Amino acid sequence: MRALTSSKAGCLDVILVLCVLAGFVSARWAWKCDGGGCERTSSLGDGLTVDEYPSLELCRLVCGSSGGVWPIPSVYSVLNKELLYLDVANITFNIKTNDDASKAFLTDVLSYFKDSVGPASLNCSETVTSLSINVEARSESLNLNWDTNETYTLNGQGSSITIVGETVFGVRHGLETLLQLIVKDGACFASISSYVISDKPFYKHRGLLLDTARNYLSVDMIKRNIVGMAMSKLNVLHWHMSDSQSFPFVSSRVLNMSRYGAYGDEKVYSPEQVLDLIRFAKIRGVRIIPEIDGPAHVGNGWQWGPEAGLGNLVVCQNKQPWRSYCIQPPCGQLNPANQNIYEVLKNIYNDIVDLWKNLEAFHMGGDEVYIPCWNSSSEILKYIGNNRTEERFLDLWAEFQAKALEVFDSVNGGSSASAIVWTSSLTAPGVVENSLPNDRYVIQTWVPNSDNLPEELLALGYRVIISTKDSWYLDHGFWGSTSYYTWRKVYDNKILTDDGVLGGEVCMWGELVDDNNVESRVWPRAAAAAERLWSNPSTTSVSAEKRFFVQNRRLADRGIRTSVVTPEYCVQNENDCDVKLALFIPSSRSRILV
Amino acid sequence: MKQGEIRKALMVATLLCVFLFIYLYWQQSSKPLQPLVLTYKHVYTANKKSQPHQWTWHCVNQRCERHPITDNIKAVSLPTCSMLCGSTQLWPQPTGPVTLGSKAVTFNHLQFEFETLTSGAARALVKEAFSSFNDSVLSLVRNNNYLQEKTDLDKFIVRVSVVHGDIVKLKLKTDESYTLTLKQRAGDILVNITARTYFGARHGLETLSQLIWWDQYEGTIGTLKVIKGATVQDAPTFPYRGLMIDTARNFMSIESLKRVLVGMAANKLNVFHWHITDSQSFPLVLPSVPQLSKTGSYSPGETYSPEEVRAIVEFARVRGIRTILEMDVPAHVGNGWTWGPKEGLGDLAVCVNERPWSLYCGEPPCGQLNPENPNVYDVLEKIYRDLLELTEETEIFHIGGDEVNLECWAQHLQKSNTPSNYSDLHDLWGEFTLKALARLQRANGGEKIPQVIVWSSKLSKRPYITKYLDRNSVVVQSWGSSQWPETADLLSDDYKVLISHVDAWYLDCGFGRWRETGEAACDPYRPWQTVYNHRPWQQMRLDKRQIIGGEACLWSEQVEESSLDSRLWPRTAAFAERVWTDPQLDLATFSIHEDVYTRLSTQRDRLISKGLKAEAMWPTWCSQNPGMCL
Repeated sequence: MRALTSSKAGCLDVILVLCVLAGFVSARWAWKCDGGGCERTSSLGDGLTVDEYPSLELCRLVCGSSGGVWPIPSVYSVLNKELLYLDVANITFNIKTNDDASKAFLTDVLSYFKDSVGPASLNCSETVTSLSINVEARSESLNLNWDTNETYTLNGQGSSITIVGETVFGVRHGLETLLQLIVKDGACFASISSYVISDKPFYKHRGLLLDTARNYLSVDMIKRNIVGMAMSKLNVLHWHMSDSQSFPFVSSRVLNMSRYGAYGDEKVYSPEQVLDLIRFAKIRGVRIIPEIDGPAHVGNGWQWGPEAGLGNLVVCQNKQPWRSYCIQPPCGQLNPANQNIYEVLKNIYNDIVDLWKNLEAFHMGGDEVYIPCWNSSSEILKYIGNNRTEERFLDLWAEFQAKALEVFDSVNGGSSASAIVWTSSLTAPGVVENSLPNDRYVIQTWVPNSDNLPEELLALGYRVIISTKDSWYLDHGFWGSTSYYTWRKVYDNKILTDDGVLGGEVCMWGELVDDNNVESRVWPRAAAAAERLWSNPSTTSVSAEKRFFVQNRRLADRGIRTSVVTPEYCVQNENDCDVKLALFIPSSRSRILV
Repeated sequence: MKQGEIRKALMVATLLCVFLFIYLYWQQSSKPLQPLVLTYKHVYTANKKSQPHQWTWHCVNQRCERHPITDNIKAVSLPTCSMLCGSTQLWPQPTGPVTLGSKAVTFNHLQFEFETLTSGAARALVKEAFSSFNDSVLSLVRNNNYLQEKTDLDKFIVRVSVVHGDIVKLKLKTDESYTLTLKQRAGDILVNITARTYFGARHGLETLSQLIWWDQYEGTIGTLKVIKGATVQDAPTFPYRGLMIDTARNFMSIESLKRVLVGMAANKLNVFHWHITDSQSFPLVLPSVPQLSKTGSYSPGETYSPEEVRAIVEFARVRGIRTILEMDVPAHVGNGWTWGPKEGLGDLAVCVNERPWSLYCGEPPCGQLNPENPNVYDVLEKIYRDLLELTEETEIFHIGGDEVNLECWAQHLQKSNTPSNYSDLHDLWGEFTLKALARLQRANGGEKIPQVIVWSSKLSKRPYITKYLDRNSVVVQSWGSSQWPETADLLSDDYKVLISHVDAWYLDCGFGRWRETGEAACDPYRPWQTVYNHRPWQQMRLDKRQIIGGEACLWSEQVEESSLDSRLWPRTAAFAERVWTDPQLDLATFSIHEDVYTRLSTQRDRLISKGLKAEAMWPTWCSQNPGMCL
């Protein structure tokens, strides 16, 4: 009691706890770099020997062929792994560019970098080196889209660090990697002396879907997820803004949408908040692609049509028993017999276009149209006439899709932005060719891994984004007969590598998550997908595990409520928790039973 | 600084929210309702900050219906509608008669007057309970300026009478019943809570707090309301209503455990079973055997000092909860037990961190106490003395006793060339248990602990059970699947049983396997409906009299404090109603009544007000449109 508790009294206690949590472990355990792994050894207060480090993070920095960097870079070579202690209060940044806009952008990125390193402490007893970081973006483009080149090289030579990116976004990724090479060691910050990293993503589209319609997510919560994305080099936040349950986006031109659709006066996204999010994300290398789903997944927000003299904008809204009219309550589908819906859509789209300015990709939803709903509306039946076959309803849907895209184009300067839609009966081969031109539409597939729909769509010339339903649906495991996908399953989901595959997205549908639990559902699993999409390694989660644990701690250290995936014992003892590995690792303690 | 940062971030976020609310309310008064027609103005600012309240709720056929607010009606908020619309909104539902008024009055917390007629040691506890009641009401307040609002009341008098003021420790036989009356008298609300013990009175205050809510539509910035008129008679169905938290696989801070206790109290749970050590780590600092945490904790910060444990025990007691510290033996030990040889005591534990682990234990790392080393029993006695002293709990003790791997012992005995006296190593295990129990009794000053809990295991099956476990003093915590004959067998052998069936009440399940290999032993996730609908005594026609109660369990391989709250709540609340109220099941359909959904949704909101990050039950739309998502 005496030894351990007397030192823990009062405010000392608090300091000690905080310091220890930050990896400031001065005491019992040390980590020894042994082969490719870090082994926990006890060091009861004595000095550390060579090759022993006071924290796992520090050991990981120098140990193994790729340290603790996540996602794993294409080329990572450490020339000198001697620890170098840094004076993070004195970092000189040199931005090499003549372009004011690029310079301003990179200045913002650098201040994100500085904030993320964390505050310097005056108590570091090591000799510290001040750091000079030179950044250069080869291109002046500030567009973040599927053509953006995110390649970078990161070169560290003692106190001088050089990051060259093809674009500012490449530079940003380089800085993110550099953040992972700076590790807190007690009151000090340590890095390695000399290294060369060159890196580029495998897929262009590396996304996370957040659904803010089933349950509202605060702006702060969306930002926290964006930070997690930046840390893992994910670059698309697919914002599923609206659904049949709610319409939280404040459309300036159609204020009724959120008046009738938001859960409450504070549960909305104002134009200022949206602009703030777009900017916040972009500095972190993330573009936000908005989705206004239709013609299904609408309802609340659209009920004011009759009062405004526009007729029924939606049909079967909130209709009961809901099982007869939709897949999930509350029901609702746009009324394609009422041409006023296009005027309303046009205004909503116009607000979106105004906010996003350069909108090069727009998600139009387009999933899960439930024919019995339309079939129950006399208005629609009158509109389509007597031919009530499934084909006729599909035609009606295709007509809606064409008109919706037309009004979108009309407000988006007639541009040819890509429209993204979910796979549905409208995207089935045999139907899709006639309804969705492949030069305009990108299709997001959400079928199981065993389904070859993505191949079929590629063969028809469509570009696809893959959201493997049985690996990358983060909401699964909590409803119906779905099961939860561990980070390993998420990581091991290898997707097609054709040129037409833009990338993939993990999807966090919001029925059972809100601000209280969304972070722990998304993280660290989205980080596992991130390495699949950035590096696409031929190896599996088994070889990624050690780095993954480090990345998960990083997420936690930045304040994200990420979940743990294993007892801390297994994090501290890298090789102890696995049968396969344990069988191959010679250990004086292990004996094989005959 | 992980913790500091989260706390700071949360504080900043809270401050921002408060500021935003103030701003919003300040803004709104001057804003007219938006017209119901399309506006084509290209102005972003028109509606940005402050929309007036959007929705009003009408009570129609005992169900609150949501409608847009129009000019000529007085808007009713959802909490106000819900409280006055058919459902009691109480959780857990009281077991005795309840009558509630159909009107509400406004008040503020400064109008509380607390009085107690309690004498004896319970008096101090009642005072503590008043203060935690007051905190719980304050947690509802969403705008601190609400004190400026006019209220309907002069005083809100809360009078608590406890018959047996000398009872300040919870026992299985403690009477936890209470009656509550709430009346309006002139300009005052007068509440009388009477109970035989402090523990009943405390539950009464908890119920009272559920008759109070925040109405954000009232006045200009919202205010507190209380239902006008209520009588409640209530008593629990089971005396043991527990929640187990494991802090050995992953560490949980004291602060996060206090949040657990706050949530338990709000749901009238009464036993905090703290699985404080395991083979992975030994975070408990024991005064008599400091070596355990010194060599077994994950880091010096990830420990529980005796002072911290005592603080938890007291924090819990005030909230009507007793704390049971479980140091599991003889299996589930390892890290923390390796210092024996250094101190000349020999191997206290064997197979520690042995690889490949799958041969010697159920999950890595391995370890089991060495039953043949007499020093082990001396150490155990010291530990038991400390544990009893820390909790002052002498009615119930949990010795663990699960998942002994006989292969580990077999290997060890073979290695040390100890001549084995055991043709069946279960006997070695049985004798270990008897010796440990003898040491427990010695540690308790020679007094036998009346209720010793063991996890169900091979040893709690025939033929071993009758040989090694005394049915008069042993309670078996039955954690096997409810489909197994385990529980019924125990009952037919006349053992007392505590139910924790893995297929219903293991809250950690559903997150897949956490190791590369091995089965996901307990998938899938148990939704709250599964937790709620588990009623084995009805489903399996078990004799309820031998069942002391139930316990929900959260093992921590895949959870630590960042996701602790959302794993526990609202599912543990669903569990709480099962063991407090124990409503009948419809065995034909297993359908859960709409009222349960509505009440649980309200209870979840209460937990969130208390700062617990309870998980979402469904889209908010379903909360705002009661009955429409079923």
